[in-house]
Amino acid sequence: MSSAGTKLGKQDAGAPQAKLRALLVEDNALDATLVVRALNRDGFDVAVDVVQDEAAFTRMLRANPPEIVLADYNLPTWKGMEALKVLRAEKLDIPMILVSGALGDVTAVECIRQGVTDYVLKDGLARLPEVVRRALREKQERSLRHQIEEDLARKVDELARSNADLEQFAYVASHDLQEPLRMVTAYTQLLGERYKGKLDESADKFIGYASEGAQRMQVLIQDLLAFSRVGRQEAASASVDCNSVMKDVLQTLATAIQESGAVVTCGDLPAVWADRTQVAQIFQNLIGNAIKFRGEQPPAISVKAEKADDRWQLSVSDNGIGIAPEYAENIFVVFQRLHARTEYPGNGIGLAICKKIVERNGGRIAVESHPGKGSTFKFTLPSHGPEGVAAQ
Amino acid sequence: MNVTEVDILLVDDSPEDVELTLHALRSENLANLVFVARDGEEALDFLFCTGPHADRSFQHPPKLVLLDLKLPKIDGLQVLKRLKTDERTRTIPVVLLTSSKEERDRIVGYELGTNSYLQKPVEFDDFRKLVKLLGMYWLVTNQPPVSKGKSVSAGQLK
Amino acid sequence: MMQPLLELLVVDDNPADVSLVCEALVGSKTRSKITSVGDGVEALAFLYRREKFANAIRPDLVLLDLNLPKRDGLAVLAAMKAGPNLRRIPVVIFSTSQLRKDIVRSYEMGANCYVSKPGNLNDFFTAVQSIEEFWFGHVTLSREENNG
Repeated sequence: MSSAGTKLGKQDAGAPQAKLRALLVEDNALDATLVVRALNRDGFDVAVDVVQDEAAFTRMLRANPPEIVLADYNLPTWKGMEALKVLRAEKLDIPMILVSGALGDVTAVECIRQGVTDYVLKDGLARLPEVVRRALREKQERSLRHQIEEDLARKVDELARSNADLEQFAYVASHDLQEPLRMVTAYTQLLGERYKGKLDESADKFIGYASEGAQRMQVLIQDLLAFSRVGRQEAASASVDCNSVMKDVLQTLATAIQESGAVVTCGDLPAVWADRTQVAQIFQNLIGNAIKFRGEQPPAISVKAEKADDRWQLSVSDNGIGIAPEYAENIFVVFQRLHARTEYPGNGIGLAICKKIVERNGGRIAVESHPGKGSTFKFTLPSHGPEGVAAQ
Repeated sequence: MNVTEVDILLVDDSPEDVELTLHALRSENLANLVFVARDGEEALDFLFCTGPHADRSFQHPPKLVLLDLKLPKIDGLQVLKRLKTDERTRTIPVVLLTSSKEERDRIVGYELGTNSYLQKPVEFDDFRKLVKLLGMYWLVTNQPPVSKGKSVSAGQLK
Repeated sequence: MMQPLLELLVVDDNPADVSLVCEALVGSKTRSKITSVGDGVEALAFLYRREKFANAIRPDLVLLDLNLPKRDGLAVLAAMKAGPNLRRIPVVIFSTSQLRKDIVRSYEMGANCYVSKPGNLNDFFTAVQSIEEFWFGHVTLSREENNG
């Protein structure tokens, strides 16, 4: 329960305020009156309750929580500092000002150390209003800050949950869509094969379009599934030897490499800390693209690594058709394609997957390229695991 | 020879049949690594990671065992029984490939849980064709239970 | 080694997939007869020749999907491998699932082999034809006297 003095929003010190609810721990009636008068004199309109013992104090706190507590240090039956403990026990963030007769510096400092907001001597009550004002202001700022932090935490939470929902949805949707899609693809294709030329010309055409559409959908869904899998599966990060990964990737792309006459040169590649399958995916996509988007000459692809602070920067360069600089960021967006489907196949998901993987590992990916001048894709991956375990 | 990622364990004591089998598998590029055991004891050592094969691990079983029945030291059915009754090895696909025409062998083979039972053709050419078919079926069409390694789906070699 | 009419039992709850299997085998060199059932309970009734399946033939090969209503594929597999009469019938798991756990579990429960249903029509046909060619064209099956 907050007793934020929201009524004290006004900046000018002398202006009349709304009623300040104060709880006084004081056994001397005269002293109590003096305190109230000191506050009144400086423009505070105070609604005061006075208590002398712990029981009454606790009761008042619960019944009518004050905005500020003013406590005498030395009472016959109770110590003012005890009030602090009660406040803590009740989990109330109410500023407490110690009002006291002579209080040695050491004691004063000790009290503040223990959590008293400030102290005022009984023969220096003129200071009291300013002290109260400052205490209330600090309390307000504190409350505001808490509020902001809570809001932020809640928004982050909502966002995380929303993200997780979306990823889950993308995964489930693409996964569940595969089955009915498989039926449509299979049977439109069967129809096309079995009834070619047996129905009329339009029928052949219609079936052809349906079949093509279905097959494209199938690939799209598979790509979407691949993309949403990146976030889903617990990536098993470990030390991954990029040279070994490259060997596997080149094997997988063997046919494409052979058919295109591509030459892939690798520098000495390091070990990185990531999930091996995902690292392979990155290389496979980048090198596959380099082969696909080739120019007139056979693809010449070069894979290198260099250290960048505590990460490794890997690069895949090619002599292909290149990318206009204005599209350099666009190409990493899911399903973004720069070319007509008839020119180059593919759905535009490969680079989106690369980006997702790289960023999940805390890295960055970017391309340097110009049309007709080839492209260099650079990305960074960690060289260390948690607790500084080096990848080797 | 690194025997960890063996694709096929071929258990046969006939040198001609072994050579024919290896040749057929190689010509189709079906198996990267074929290990040949010439008797039942060596086959068991290999599969159970004992004796001269103590450095092998149960985590890397062969994708397929081609097992003849008539073997020296320990015969094929005994090997099969050991394989299929041990939890660590019972999921390894076993194909009995034998010249035996005994009905009893076939019945016991299936009883003991062989994945399939084939008779070795007499003609060289038929034998070679059969081995190719076996390789294609068990290594490409079929999904073996092993966890590591690249799996290729039927007809689709990317 | 060619056998006379061979009996293939397809256990799959998707009639479209059953139909694809039949299409794939049209014109195959082996003479095979295809019967299909749509769920695990029917599969077991067929195999045990219960009630309406009292005159059912004993299949020479079972093509078994995993995701079936009522009783799933693994339950059918377990029942088959538990009984002395049925356990010699080869079972090919034919499922869209490529999950490692489904594959391993199937082998553990005695499946003879595991083939993933390909998403592409031609690959699907190739897979079915390979299965039929291997099991009916080359394997020496463990056959019993059939009723009909």
